[in-house]
Amino acid sequence: MVKFYSSTDTYSYPFPAVTLAYFLRYPNPYSTHVLSTDTISRHFDAETQRLTTIRLHLKRSKLPSAVQKLLPRSILGSSASGESQSYILEKSVVDIKEGWMDTESRNLEWTGVLSVVERQVFKRPIPTVPDEVKIFTGMEGAARRHGFINFSGNGAGTKVEDNGETTEVTSSVTLHSHIGETWKKKRQAAAEGSSDEEQPHKMGFLRSWGTHSLQRSIEKIGMTRTLRSQPNAREGMKVVLERMREGGLVAVLEGMRKDREAILAGRNLLKEGSRHTDDE
Amino acid sequence: MSASLAPECNEVKERYDTCFLKWYSEKFLRGTAKSDECDPLFKQYEQCLSKALKSRGIDTMLKEARDDNRENDAEHMRPKR
Repeated sequence: MVKFYSSTDTYSYPFPAVTLAYFLRYPNPYSTHVLSTDTISRHFDAETQRLTTIRLHLKRSKLPSAVQKLLPRSILGSSASGESQSYILEKSVVDIKEGWMDTESRNLEWTGVLSVVERQVFKRPIPTVPDEVKIFTGMEGAARRHGFINFSGNGAGTKVEDNGETTEVTSSVTLHSHIGETWKKKRQAAAEGSSDEEQPHKMGFLRSWGTHSLQRSIEKIGMTRTLRSQPNAREGMKVVLERMREGGLVAVLEGMRKDREAILAGRNLLKEGSRHTDDE
Repeated sequence: MSASLAPECNEVKERYDTCFLKWYSEKFLRGTAKSDECDPLFKQYEQCLSKALKSRGIDTMLKEARDDNRENDAEHMRPKR
């Protein structure tokens, strides 16, 4: 059983700016649940001009009450109250020559209950107007194709030029619940001699529900959350891009600093009535 | 800048992140990067972080996930591009 969600969107910002915003998207006013972001590996291939990055995000999360109701306390353990933190592993590859960024994020814990894999592919659009035409429309033709960000001296002054460039993004989320499957294996193992203390309880619970309908229900709940959180992820990116357009990297970093302080102080960054959800 | 999950690594992370952003926007995005100039700072950050990951027991979880990923990549992503 697998659930799949997919959407496409266009950012009215040039591709290089979008890739930069992706790396700088936390914290933002829509991501107050993201507690930390660490780069755990980074590799630059000079030949292909590709950059591969693996990052680890820590998010405050809440198990939906609907899931809590579905699962017995013996499985929930310390998360029975519903409050927990979860690690998200994010891999991204940026190819600046070919003009694409491919990203994938997945949860590290609870993958048996529900594995959520989010993929986003950003692409520099193929120009509809041939380059030769652009050259005649002005000397900035090349800048329109490659520039996008104005590098005035030091990097701190980096600004995004509003030149009408856009970036296409395709997002997809794959939800897959394996709940019950490992217990099937355990039952087999038990039949072959080894034993598992918790097994009778879990098996009784699962028999009463049916593994497949439980998986379906959990995937459905995951999908509901996905649909609710996707707009927030998009808005977060847009806030970062807007800051970049207004005041360059300096403004992005200043915004991040303020958001981080506000998160630490426990202030809600969004106006009343526009509550964010605790997941992405 | 975003916080590190290990507060003791915040300082070295900040130094690395600053270096990376400069390199990324001035060299990488322009297609003029020859090498990852921030690698020495990354090594320092990595050293601090790996201790933190180990003490929190996240390192094994990470290793498993990345091994899984590699298998998945090999399985599903080979014909890509």
